Amino acid sequence: MASNAAVPFWRAAGMTYITYSNLCANMVRNCLKEPHRSEALSREKVHFSVSKWVDGKPQKPTIRTDTPEE
Amino acid sequence: KLKVNFVLPYNSELWNKEVDMVIVPATTGQMGILPGHVATIAELQPGLLSVHEENSVKKYFVSGGFAFVHGNSIADIIAIEAVPIDQLDASAVQKGLAEFTQKLSSATTDLERAEAQIGVNVHSALNSALAG
Amino acid sequence: ISTQAVRNRMKSVKNIQKITKAMKMVAASKLRAIQTRAENSRGLWQPFVALLGDTPSVDVKKNVIVTVSSDKGLCGGINSTSVRVSRGLHKLTSGPEKENKYVVLGEKAKAQLIRDSKKDIELSMTELQKNPLNYTQVSVIADDILKNVEFDALRIVFNKFQSVVSFVPTTATILSPEVVEKEAESGGKLGDLDSYEIEGAESKSEVLQNLAEFQFSCVLFNAVLENACSEQGARMSAMDSSSRNAGDMLDRLTLTYNRTRQASITTELIEIISGASALEG
Repeated sequence: MASNAAVPFWRAAGMTYITYSNLCANMVRNCLKEPHRSEALSREKVHFSVSKWVDGKPQKPTIRTDTPEE
Repeated sequence: KLKVNFVLPYNSELWNKEVDMVIVPATTGQMGILPGHVATIAELQPGLLSVHEENSVKKYFVSGGFAFVHGNSIADIIAIEAVPIDQLDASAVQKGLAEFTQKLSSATTDLERAEAQIGVNVHSALNSALAG
Repeated sequence: ISTQAVRNRMKSVKNIQKITKAMKMVAASKLRAIQTRAENSRGLWQPFVALLGDTPSVDVKKNVIVTVSSDKGLCGGINSTSVRVSRGLHKLTSGPEKENKYVVLGEKAKAQLIRDSKKDIELSMTELQKNPLNYTQVSVIADDILKNVEFDALRIVFNKFQSVVSFVPTTATILSPEVVEKEAESGGKLGDLDSYEIEGAESKSEVLQNLAEFQFSCVLFNAVLENACSEQGARMSAMDSSSRNAGDMLDRLTLTYNRTRQASITTELIEIISGASALEG
Protein backbone atom coordinates (compact mmCIF):
# COMPACT_ATOMS: atom_id res chain seq x y z
CA MET A 1 0.00 0.00 0.00
CA ALA A 2 2.96 2.35 0.40
CA SER A 3 3.16 4.33 -2.75
CA ASN A 4 5.32 7.18 -3.85
CA ALA A 5 2.46 9.25 -5.18
CA ALA A 6 2.09 12.71 -3.71
CA VAL A 7 -1.34 11.94 -2.29
CA PRO A 8 -2.57 8.98 -0.27
CA PHE A 9 -4.59 6.36 -2.16
CA TRP A 10 -7.88 7.38 -0.55
CA ARG A 11 -7.52 11.00 -1.60
CA ALA A 12 -6.64 9.88 -5.11
CA ALA A 13 -9.95 7.99 -5.11
CA GLY A 14 -11.83 11.18 -4.25
CA MET A 15 -12.13 10.99 -0.46
CA THR A 16 -11.38 13.77 1.97
CA TYR A 17 -9.59 13.18 5.26
CA ILE A 18 -12.99 13.40 6.95
CA THR A 19 -14.47 10.60 4.84
CA TYR A 20 -11.37 8.51 5.29
CA SER A 21 -11.14 8.92 9.05
CA ASN A 22 -14.88 8.29 9.50
CA LEU A 23 -14.62 5.07 7.55
CA CYS A 24 -11.78 3.91 9.78
CA ALA A 25 -13.69 4.86 12.93
CA ASN A 26 -16.79 3.04 11.79
CA MET A 27 -14.82 -0.13 11.02
CA VAL A 28 -13.34 -0.06 14.52
CA ARG A 29 -16.83 0.37 16.04
CA ASN A 30 -18.02 -2.65 14.07
CA CYS A 31 -15.35 -4.82 15.67
CA LEU A 32 -16.45 -4.11 19.24
CA LYS A 33 -17.95 -6.71 21.53
CA GLU A 34 -21.55 -6.25 22.51
CA PRO A 35 -23.00 -4.18 24.12
CA HIS A 36 -20.26 -1.69 23.21
CA ARG A 37 -20.82 -2.19 19.49
CA SER A 38 -24.53 -1.31 19.45
CA GLU A 39 -23.88 1.53 21.85
CA ALA A 40 -21.18 3.06 19.66
CA LEU A 41 -23.09 2.56 16.41
CA SER A 42 -26.35 4.04 17.72
CA ARG A 43 -24.48 7.10 18.97
CA GLU A 44 -23.24 8.06 15.52
CA LYS A 45 -26.40 8.42 13.42
CA VAL A 46 -26.48 10.77 10.43
CA HIS A 47 -29.51 12.65 9.15
CA PHE A 48 -29.82 16.08 7.57
CA SER A 49 -31.06 17.86 4.51
CA VAL A 50 -28.80 19.88 2.23
CA SER A 51 -29.52 22.27 -0.66
CA LYS A 52 -27.14 23.90 -3.06
CA TRP A 53 -28.06 27.44 -4.07
CA VAL A 54 -27.87 28.78 -7.58
CA ASP A 55 -28.55 32.45 -8.33
CA GLY A 56 -30.20 33.07 -5.00
CA LYS A 57 -32.49 30.06 -5.18
CA PRO A 58 -32.21 26.81 -3.25
CA GLN A 59 -32.12 23.73 -5.46
CA LYS A 60 -33.98 20.58 -4.61
CA PRO A 61 -32.77 19.42 -1.18
CA THR A 62 -30.99 16.10 -0.78
CA ILE A 63 -31.54 14.10 2.38
CA ARG A 64 -28.35 12.61 3.78
CA THR A 65 -29.28 9.80 6.08
CA ASP A 66 -28.08 6.42 7.21
CA THR A 67 -31.43 5.32 8.54
CA PRO A 68 -34.02 4.31 5.93
CA GLU A 69 -37.34 6.16 6.14
CA GLU A 70 -39.80 4.44 8.43
CA LYS B 1 6.23 13.96 33.75
CA LEU B 2 4.24 14.35 30.57
CA LYS B 3 0.86 16.06 30.65
CA VAL B 4 -1.60 14.38 28.34
CA ASN B 5 -4.96 15.40 26.97
CA PHE B 6 -6.46 12.46 25.15
CA VAL B 7 -9.82 13.47 23.68
CA LEU B 8 -12.61 11.93 21.66
CA PRO B 9 -15.63 13.77 20.24
CA TYR B 10 -17.93 12.36 22.90
CA ASN B 11 -15.56 12.09 25.82
CA SER B 12 -12.25 13.24 27.24
CA GLU B 13 -10.45 10.00 28.09
CA LEU B 14 -7.59 11.80 29.79
CA TRP B 15 -7.51 15.46 30.67
CA ASN B 16 -4.46 17.14 32.09
CA LYS B 17 -3.25 13.75 33.22
CA GLU B 18 0.37 13.31 34.24
CA VAL B 19 1.93 10.16 32.84
CA ASP B 20 5.41 8.78 32.13
CA MET B 21 5.02 8.03 28.45
CA VAL B 22 2.51 7.54 25.67
CA ILE B 23 3.07 5.59 22.50
CA VAL B 24 0.96 6.69 19.56
CA PRO B 25 0.45 5.03 16.16
CA ALA B 26 1.86 7.72 13.87
CA THR B 27 1.60 7.15 10.13
CA THR B 28 5.39 6.83 10.16
CA GLY B 29 5.33 4.10 12.81
CA GLN B 30 4.80 3.78 16.57
CA MET B 31 6.05 6.96 18.21
CA GLY B 32 6.95 7.18 21.88
CA ILE B 33 6.33 10.52 23.58
CA LEU B 34 8.36 11.21 26.71
CA PRO B 35 8.57 14.41 28.72
CA GLY B 36 10.67 16.95 26.85
CA HIS B 37 9.82 15.56 23.44
CA VAL B 38 10.47 17.94 20.57
CA ALA B 39 7.42 19.87 19.35
CA THR B 40 5.70 17.68 16.79
CA ILE B 41 2.52 17.35 14.81
CA ALA B 42 1.85 13.70 14.04
CA GLU B 43 -0.89 12.24 11.95
CA LEU B 44 -2.19 9.01 13.44
CA GLN B 45 -3.20 5.85 11.66
CA PRO B 46 -5.39 3.04 12.98
CA GLY B 47 -3.32 1.32 15.63
CA LEU B 48 -2.33 0.81 19.21
CA LEU B 49 -2.03 3.69 21.64
CA SER B 50 -0.64 2.97 25.07
CA VAL B 51 -0.45 5.15 28.13
CA HIS B 52 2.34 4.30 30.57
CA GLU B 53 2.17 5.27 34.20
CA GLU B 54 4.38 4.10 37.05
CA ASN B 55 3.45 0.41 36.98
CA SER B 56 0.45 0.31 34.73
CA VAL B 57 -0.06 0.38 31.00
CA LYS B 58 -3.43 1.17 29.49
CA LYS B 59 -3.92 0.10 25.87
CA TYR B 60 -6.38 1.57 23.41
CA PHE B 61 -7.02 1.00 19.76
CA VAL B 62 -7.45 4.35 18.00
CA SER B 63 -9.03 4.71 14.58
CA GLY B 64 -7.01 7.73 13.54
CA GLY B 65 -6.60 11.40 14.36
CA PHE B 66 -3.75 13.66 15.30
CA ALA B 67 -1.26 14.14 18.10
CA PHE B 68 0.24 17.53 18.91
CA VAL B 69 3.26 17.48 21.14
CA HIS B 70 4.06 20.93 22.45
CA GLY B 71 7.47 22.05 23.58
CA ASN B 72 6.43 22.24 27.23
CA SER B 73 5.85 18.50 27.77
CA ILE B 74 2.17 18.73 26.98
CA ALA B 75 0.66 16.36 24.45
CA ASP B 76 -2.78 16.70 22.90
CA ILE B 77 -4.10 13.55 21.27
CA ILE B 78 -7.30 13.76 19.27
CA ALA B 79 -8.91 10.59 17.99
CA ILE B 80 -12.27 10.00 16.40
CA GLU B 81 -12.74 6.62 18.01
CA ALA B 82 -10.67 4.92 20.67
CA VAL B 83 -11.59 1.74 22.46
CA PRO B 84 -9.90 -0.24 25.22
CA ILE B 85 -8.31 -3.29 23.61
CA ASP B 86 -10.30 -5.74 25.73
CA GLN B 87 -13.56 -4.49 24.23
CA LEU B 88 -12.57 -5.71 20.77
CA ASP B 89 -14.09 -8.85 19.33
CA ALA B 90 -11.37 -10.99 17.74
CA SER B 91 -13.77 -13.00 15.61
CA ALA B 92 -15.35 -9.83 14.17
CA VAL B 93 -11.85 -8.65 13.27
CA GLN B 94 -11.09 -11.91 11.44
CA LYS B 95 -14.40 -11.81 9.63
CA GLY B 96 -13.87 -8.18 8.61
CA LEU B 97 -10.38 -8.88 7.37
CA ALA B 98 -11.56 -11.75 5.19
CA GLU B 99 -14.49 -9.71 3.90
CA PHE B 100 -12.41 -6.69 2.88
CA THR B 101 -9.63 -8.82 1.38
CA GLN B 102 -12.29 -10.41 -0.80
CA LYS B 103 -13.75 -6.99 -1.66
CA LEU B 104 -10.34 -5.69 -2.61
CA SER B 105 -9.94 -8.38 -5.26
CA SER B 106 -13.42 -7.86 -6.69
CA ALA B 107 -13.45 -4.04 -6.60
CA THR B 108 -14.09 -2.41 -9.96
CA THR B 109 -13.92 1.34 -9.26
CA ASP B 110 -11.18 3.42 -7.64
CA LEU B 111 -13.53 4.30 -4.80
CA GLU B 112 -14.46 0.67 -4.10
CA ARG B 113 -10.81 -0.31 -4.22
CA ALA B 114 -9.87 2.49 -1.80
CA GLU B 115 -12.64 1.51 0.62
CA ALA B 116 -11.59 -2.12 0.53
CA GLN B 117 -7.96 -1.12 1.01
CA ILE B 118 -8.90 0.96 4.06
CA GLY B 119 -10.85 -2.05 5.35
CA VAL B 120 -7.86 -4.33 4.95
CA ASN B 121 -5.54 -1.80 6.59
CA VAL B 122 -7.83 -1.18 9.57
CA HIS B 123 -8.53 -4.84 10.19
CA SER B 124 -4.88 -5.84 9.84
CA ALA B 125 -4.01 -3.17 12.38
CA LEU B 126 -6.76 -4.46 14.68
CA ASN B 127 -5.48 -7.96 14.22
CA SER B 128 -1.90 -7.17 15.11
CA ALA B 129 -3.05 -5.05 18.08
CA LEU B 130 -4.93 -8.07 19.43
CA ALA B 131 -2.00 -10.38 18.75
CA GLY B 132 0.50 -8.06 20.43
CA ILE C 1 -67.24 44.04 30.78
CA SER C 2 -69.14 40.85 31.46
CA THR C 3 -67.78 38.36 33.97
CA GLN C 4 -68.18 35.68 31.32
CA ALA C 5 -65.74 37.44 28.98
CA VAL C 6 -63.17 37.85 31.73
CA ARG C 7 -63.59 34.23 32.71
CA ASN C 8 -62.95 33.08 29.14
CA ARG C 9 -59.87 35.24 28.92
CA MET C 10 -58.56 33.80 32.18
CA LYS C 11 -59.10 30.30 30.89
CA SER C 12 -57.07 30.92 27.74
CA VAL C 13 -54.24 32.62 29.62
CA LYS C 14 -54.14 29.63 31.98
CA ASN C 15 -53.86 27.31 28.99
CA ILE C 16 -51.05 29.36 27.50
CA GLN C 17 -49.26 29.23 30.80
CA LYS C 18 -49.63 25.46 30.92
CA ILE C 19 -48.07 25.21 27.47
CA THR C 20 -45.16 27.55 28.15
CA LYS C 21 -44.48 25.75 31.43
CA ALA C 22 -44.42 22.41 29.62
CA MET C 23 -42.10 23.83 26.93
CA LYS C 24 -39.82 25.11 29.62
CA MET C 25 -39.64 21.67 31.20
CA VAL C 26 -38.89 20.04 27.85
CA ALA C 27 -36.15 22.58 27.11
CA ALA C 28 -34.67 22.04 30.56
CA SER C 29 -34.41 18.29 30.11
CA LYS C 30 -33.00 18.65 26.59
CA LEU C 31 -30.49 21.14 27.90
CA ARG C 32 -29.32 18.69 30.55
CA ALA C 33 -28.81 16.02 27.89
CA ILE C 34 -26.87 18.26 25.55
CA GLN C 35 -24.86 20.33 28.01
CA THR C 36 -22.53 17.46 28.95
CA ARG C 37 -21.90 16.70 25.31
CA ALA C 38 -21.22 20.35 24.51
CA GLU C 39 -18.77 20.56 27.39
CA ASN C 40 -17.05 17.34 26.30
CA SER C 41 -16.73 18.64 22.76
CA ARG C 42 -14.66 21.54 24.03
CA GLY C 43 -11.86 19.04 24.53
CA LEU C 44 -11.87 18.54 20.79
CA TRP C 45 -11.73 22.22 20.01
CA GLN C 46 -9.11 23.25 22.54
CA PRO C 47 -6.05 21.45 21.09
CA PHE C 48 -6.58 23.18 17.76
CA VAL C 49 -6.68 26.56 19.41
CA ALA C 50 -3.55 25.66 21.35
CA LEU C 51 -1.78 24.70 18.15
CA LEU C 52 -3.14 27.06 15.53
CA GLY C 53 -4.57 29.84 17.64
CA ASP C 54 -7.54 31.78 16.40
CA THR C 55 -6.96 34.17 13.55
CA PRO C 56 -10.14 36.14 12.98
CA SER C 57 -8.27 39.08 11.47
CA VAL C 58 -6.60 37.16 8.66
CA ASP C 59 -7.11 38.89 5.33
CA VAL C 60 -7.81 36.50 2.47
CA LYS C 61 -9.54 36.52 -0.89
CA LYS C 62 -12.18 33.83 -0.58
CA ASN C 63 -14.22 34.00 2.59
CA VAL C 64 -16.98 31.61 3.52
CA ILE C 65 -19.18 32.38 6.50
CA VAL C 66 -20.81 29.38 8.13
CA THR C 67 -23.80 30.64 10.13
CA VAL C 68 -25.05 28.19 12.74
CA SER C 69 -28.68 28.55 13.80
CA SER C 70 -31.61 26.42 14.98
CA ASP C 71 -34.44 24.89 12.99
CA LYS C 72 -37.03 25.81 15.58
CA GLY C 73 -38.00 29.18 17.01
CA LEU C 74 -39.10 30.39 20.44
CA CYS C 75 -35.54 30.62 21.67
CA GLY C 76 -35.00 34.29 22.25
CA GLY C 77 -32.50 36.18 20.15
CA ILE C 78 -29.80 33.60 19.51
CA ASN C 79 -30.57 33.18 15.82
CA SER C 80 -30.80 36.92 15.19
CA THR C 81 -27.46 37.29 16.95
CA SER C 82 -25.82 34.70 14.66
CA VAL C 83 -27.25 36.43 11.62
CA ARG C 84 -26.23 39.88 12.79
CA VAL C 85 -22.67 38.81 13.47
CA SER C 86 -22.53 37.00 10.12
CA ARG C 87 -23.72 40.09 8.25
CA GLY C 88 -21.16 42.22 10.06
CA LEU C 89 -18.41 39.77 9.20
CA HIS C 90 -19.59 39.66 5.61
CA LYS C 91 -19.34 43.43 5.35
CA LEU C 92 -15.96 43.45 7.06
CA THR C 93 -14.39 40.85 4.80
CA SER C 94 -15.93 42.08 1.55
CA GLY C 95 -14.01 44.22 -0.85
CA PRO C 96 -12.89 44.54 -4.42
CA GLU C 97 -11.62 41.25 -5.86
CA LYS C 98 -12.94 39.33 -2.90
CA GLU C 99 -15.47 36.58 -2.78
CA ASN C 100 -17.77 36.18 0.13
CA LYS C 101 -20.28 33.38 0.52
CA TYR C 102 -22.63 32.04 3.14
CA VAL C 103 -23.21 28.48 4.22
CA VAL C 104 -26.30 28.39 6.41
CA LEU C 105 -27.07 25.76 9.02
CA GLY C 106 -30.65 25.72 10.36
CA GLU C 107 -33.97 27.09 9.12
CA LYS C 108 -33.97 30.26 11.20
CA ALA C 109 -30.84 31.91 9.83
CA LYS C 110 -31.87 30.85 6.34
CA ALA C 111 -35.21 32.65 6.72
CA GLN C 112 -33.42 35.82 7.77
CA LEU C 113 -30.56 35.77 5.29
CA ILE C 114 -32.81 34.99 2.35
CA ARG C 115 -34.24 38.51 2.63
CA ASP C 116 -31.13 40.48 1.74
CA SER C 117 -28.30 38.04 1.03
CA LYS C 118 -29.81 35.22 -0.97
CA LYS C 119 -27.39 35.83 -3.85
CA ASP C 120 -24.52 35.03 -1.54
CA ILE C 121 -25.88 31.80 -0.11
CA GLU C 122 -23.98 28.83 -1.45
CA LEU C 123 -25.31 25.98 0.63
CA SER C 124 -27.96 25.46 3.27
CA MET C 125 -28.46 22.57 5.66
CA THR C 126 -31.43 21.77 7.89
CA GLU C 127 -32.93 18.94 10.00
CA LEU C 128 -29.68 18.55 11.88
CA GLN C 129 -31.20 17.49 15.14
CA LYS C 130 -33.39 14.56 14.19
CA ASN C 131 -30.93 12.32 16.01
CA PRO C 132 -28.91 13.46 19.01
CA LEU C 133 -26.00 15.49 17.64
CA ASN C 134 -22.84 13.45 17.19
CA TYR C 135 -19.45 13.70 15.52
CA THR C 136 -20.22 11.58 12.48
CA GLN C 137 -23.28 13.72 11.71
CA VAL C 138 -21.38 16.98 11.93
CA SER C 139 -18.33 15.66 10.09
CA VAL C 140 -20.49 14.59 7.15
CA ILE C 141 -21.86 18.14 7.09
CA ALA C 142 -18.31 19.50 7.21
CA ASP C 143 -17.39 17.16 4.39
CA ASP C 144 -20.28 18.39 2.26
CA ILE C 145 -19.19 21.97 2.87
CA LEU C 146 -15.59 21.18 1.90
CA LYS C 147 -16.71 19.50 -1.30
CA ASN C 148 -19.03 22.31 -2.37
CA VAL C 149 -17.30 25.57 -1.57
CA GLU C 150 -13.92 27.02 -2.32
CA PHE C 151 -12.35 28.98 0.49
CA ASP C 152 -9.23 30.56 1.87
CA ALA C 153 -10.89 31.05 5.23
CA LEU C 154 -13.99 29.54 6.77
CA ARG C 155 -15.57 31.59 9.52
CA ILE C 156 -18.01 29.71 11.73
CA VAL C 157 -20.48 31.93 13.58
CA PHE C 158 -22.33 30.43 16.54
CA ASN C 159 -23.52 31.11 20.08
CA LYS C 160 -21.12 29.78 22.67
CA PHE C 161 -22.88 28.45 25.72
CA GLN C 162 -21.81 29.97 29.01
CA SER C 163 -24.77 29.46 31.29
CA VAL C 164 -28.52 29.07 31.00
CA VAL C 165 -28.85 32.82 30.73
CA SER C 166 -25.70 33.75 28.86
CA PHE C 167 -24.64 32.99 25.30
CA VAL C 168 -21.73 34.67 23.60
CA PRO C 169 -21.76 35.16 19.83
CA THR C 170 -18.48 33.63 18.70
CA THR C 171 -16.50 33.26 15.50
CA ALA C 172 -14.06 30.43 14.83
CA THR C 173 -11.75 30.79 11.86
CA ILE C 174 -10.43 27.87 9.83
CA LEU C 175 -7.78 28.57 7.23
CA SER C 176 -7.21 26.56 4.10
CA PRO C 177 -4.03 24.45 4.13
CA GLU C 178 -2.39 26.77 1.58
CA VAL C 179 -3.01 29.80 3.76
CA VAL C 180 -1.80 27.92 6.85
CA GLU C 181 1.43 27.03 5.11
CA LYS C 182 1.92 30.57 3.81
CA GLU C 183 1.28 32.16 7.20
CA ALA C 184 3.56 29.68 8.97
CA GLU C 185 6.44 30.18 6.57
CA SER C 186 6.21 33.94 6.44
CA GLY C 187 6.33 33.93 10.23
CA GLY C 188 2.94 35.63 10.19
CA LYS C 189 0.10 34.84 12.52
CA LEU C 190 1.01 31.16 12.57
CA GLY C 191 4.75 31.64 12.87
CA ASP C 192 4.91 29.24 15.82
CA LEU C 193 3.74 26.38 13.66
CA ASP C 194 7.09 26.33 11.92
CA SER C 195 8.78 25.20 15.12
CA TYR C 196 6.83 21.93 15.04
CA GLU C 197 8.21 18.89 13.35
CA ILE C 198 5.69 17.28 11.11
CA GLU C 199 5.44 13.48 11.23
CA GLY C 200 3.55 11.50 8.73
CA ALA C 201 2.68 11.03 5.12
CA GLU C 202 4.96 11.93 2.28
CA SER C 203 4.79 15.68 2.34
CA LYS C 204 4.20 18.47 4.77
CA SER C 205 1.43 20.00 2.69
CA GLU C 206 -0.40 16.71 2.72
CA VAL C 207 -0.36 16.53 6.52
CA LEU C 208 -1.44 20.15 6.69
CA GLN C 209 -4.34 19.46 4.36
CA ASN C 210 -5.48 16.50 6.45
CA LEU C 211 -5.04 18.58 9.56
CA ALA C 212 -7.08 21.51 8.19
CA GLU C 213 -9.93 19.21 7.21
CA PHE C 214 -9.90 17.48 10.57
CA GLN C 215 -9.73 20.85 12.32
CA PHE C 216 -12.79 22.05 10.44
CA SER C 217 -14.89 19.04 11.36
CA CYS C 218 -13.81 19.16 15.02
CA VAL C 219 -14.36 22.89 15.38
CA LEU C 220 -17.71 22.71 13.58
CA PHE C 221 -18.71 19.84 15.87
CA ASN C 222 -18.03 21.98 18.90
CA ALA C 223 -19.79 25.00 17.34
CA VAL C 224 -22.94 23.06 16.49
CA LEU C 225 -23.13 21.58 19.98
CA GLU C 226 -22.50 24.92 21.70
CA ASN C 227 -25.22 26.51 19.60
CA ALA C 228 -27.70 23.70 20.26
CA CYS C 229 -26.99 24.05 23.95
CA SER C 230 -27.51 27.82 23.80
CA GLU C 231 -30.75 27.18 21.88
CA GLN C 232 -32.20 25.05 24.69
CA GLY C 233 -30.97 27.48 27.33
CA ALA C 234 -32.49 30.44 25.50
CA ARG C 235 -35.75 28.56 24.99
CA MET C 236 -35.84 27.69 28.65
CA SER C 237 -35.50 31.30 29.77
CA ALA C 238 -37.89 32.54 27.07
CA MET C 239 -40.52 30.05 28.21
CA ASP C 240 -39.84 30.87 31.83
CA SER C 241 -40.50 34.56 31.31
CA SER C 242 -43.58 33.77 29.22
CA SER C 243 -44.94 31.66 32.07
CA ARG C 244 -44.23 34.49 34.45
CA ASN C 245 -45.94 37.02 32.17
CA ALA C 246 -48.94 34.73 31.94
CA GLY C 247 -48.96 34.53 35.73
CA ASP C 248 -48.92 38.33 36.05
CA MET C 249 -51.70 38.65 33.54
CA LEU C 250 -53.73 36.05 35.38
CA ASP C 251 -53.37 38.06 38.58
CA ARG C 252 -54.60 41.20 36.84
CA LEU C 253 -57.49 39.35 35.25
CA THR C 254 -58.49 37.81 38.58
CA LEU C 255 -58.63 41.31 40.02
CA THR C 256 -60.76 42.54 37.13
CA TYR C 257 -62.95 39.47 37.43
CA ASN C 258 -63.53 40.01 41.15
CA ARG C 259 -64.23 43.70 40.63
CA THR C 260 -66.70 43.00 37.85
CA ARG C 261 -68.35 40.31 39.90
CA GLN C 262 -68.54 42.65 42.90
CA ALA C 263 -70.01 45.35 40.70
CA SER C 264 -72.64 43.04 39.28
CA ILE C 265 -73.59 41.77 42.76
CA THR C 266 -73.94 45.35 43.94
CA THR C 267 -76.10 46.17 40.93
CA GLU C 268 -78.25 43.12 41.55
CA LEU C 269 -78.63 44.03 45.23
CA ILE C 270 -79.64 47.56 44.35
CA GLU C 271 -82.18 46.21 41.89
CA ILE C 272 -83.65 43.84 44.49
CA ILE C 273 -83.76 46.48 47.19
CA SER C 274 -85.27 49.10 44.95
CA GLY C 275 -87.75 46.51 43.63
CA ALA C 276 -88.75 45.61 47.18
CA SER C 277 -89.13 49.21 48.23
CA ALA C 278 -91.26 49.88 45.16
CA LEU C 279 -93.63 47.07 46.20
CA GLU C 280 -93.81 48.38 49.76
CA GLY C 281 -94.48 51.88 48.56
